[in-house]
Amino acid sequence: MNDGISLIELILNASVAVQMVMLILLILSIVSWVIIVQRWLVLSSAQKGVFGFEQRFWSGMDLSQLYKEGSQMQQDNVPVVGMENIFRAGFKEFMRLRQQGSVDGEAILEGAQRAMRVAYSREEEKLEKHLAFLATVGSVSPYVGLFGTVIGIMNAFLGLAAQAQATLQVVAPGIAEALFATGMGLFAAIPAVVAFNRYSSLLDNVTSGYITFTDEFSSILHRQIHTN
Amino acid sequence: MNNMFNNLVIFNGYPFSVIVAVTFHSLILVLLIWMQSRSTTERLELIQPTVIKALFIDENPQTLNRQAAERRAADEAQRELQRRQQEQQEQQEQQERQRRQDAEQAEEFQRAALRKRDELEAQRQLERSRERERAELEQQRQRDLAEAERRRVAEEAENQRQELARAEGARTELELIQSATAIIQLAVQQVWNRPPSARNGMRAILQIRMLPTGELLEARITESSGDPAFDRSAENAVYSAAPFIELRNLPINIFNSNFRILSLIFQPEDLLN
Repeated sequence: MNDGISLIELILNASVAVQMVMLILLILSIVSWVIIVQRWLVLSSAQKGVFGFEQRFWSGMDLSQLYKEGSQMQQDNVPVVGMENIFRAGFKEFMRLRQQGSVDGEAILEGAQRAMRVAYSREEEKLEKHLAFLATVGSVSPYVGLFGTVIGIMNAFLGLAAQAQATLQVVAPGIAEALFATGMGLFAAIPAVVAFNRYSSLLDNVTSGYITFTDEFSSILHRQIHTN
Repeated sequence: MNNMFNNLVIFNGYPFSVIVAVTFHSLILVLLIWMQSRSTTERLELIQPTVIKALFIDENPQTLNRQAAERRAADEAQRELQRRQQEQQEQQEQQERQRRQDAEQAEEFQRAALRKRDELEAQRQLERSRERERAELEQQRQRDLAEAERRRVAEEAENQRQELARAEGARTELELIQSATAIIQLAVQQVWNRPPSARNGMRAILQIRMLPTGELLEARITESSGDPAFDRSAENAVYSAAPFIELRNLPINIFNSNFRILSLIFQPEDLLN
């Protein structure tokens, strides 16, 4: 009592319910950080990919040449991601329909656009993956922490009721442990909320880039159909 | 660089992310524990000032009576000793005088008897006997003196020993009283709730009566501080601090003379106002 309670002692002496809450919050925090780092890698690489591919696309390179480069990359086990996937899906469908010959121009363009839309939604799904988990952690973990706090304080007061003489030393460790649960909840929630907001805006950026690219590419295809 | 980055994205960056997250959390945990341990080593120690002065006023008539009786007895013994010494001296002197008279008488008688016979012979004999007697007397006196001296020295040593023993007993008794006093003082101090009207320098004296088991029989305010709330708080403190179980270990005579009736002074000196 005289010398202070260390943090480890505080956690080890906590009641089972509070310990469970702390454990859950620790796992939530670790998982949310895994997702934060992983999403950061994916989203930043997607953003870089958008700029890189747009540069290549608008460099005046022949489109079939660009498609062949992509195929070469796939053979070399280098993943083809993002905007390039959309381009490849649209271009592949366009070429295939054109080779059949009998189909009229509007149908070819429609088919290419449909293929690009599918590729776009697949890409968007890939980018959005796990972001919902971050949102959940951000909104729920404060409540989980609060739950631990309520149980901890309840235990502290029950202990106080058993005591004949109420002193601060009886309640203090219980309240400290209870508050520690809230602290952990906030600790898990704050980065998750910040990352979720940041990544949502990043995702909007990237997907709007994809949509713009899809429109531009279909206009190019449209021009190609009508010039022939 | 770009290649490595792409390789990370092949596995969607999961292993890397897991390593980063776990490292981050363990780092934070270690930091927290380290900070905690540092803060515990630098903790300030709170020193509580003395709350009350529980002083003992020795008002026990029993003790006073006993002390007075002891003093009187000691005086009497001293006087008795002096008188005995004087008597001895007188006796010795008387004996000496008697002996000298006896010797003179014998001399006279011998002289008268011997005068009838040969005067020279008588003279010589007389001289010889007188000499012998004188030597004997001298020896006797010396022996008496040595005896008296020895007796005096022995008596003095005995006196000294008695005095020393008495002082030792008093010291251990004083220690016992002091430790018991400290215990009572601390116990009362801990439970004394001063009312908000208490001021530094207020003073209330309580007389408490206790049983040898340490139980409190009665607490009475003998000198009020002038503030009834203050007096009541002092009284309550004494009642809630009782019983003083430690008093059971005291020898009964010490308890009777010091703790049966006890006065406590309540005088706060640590208040901020």
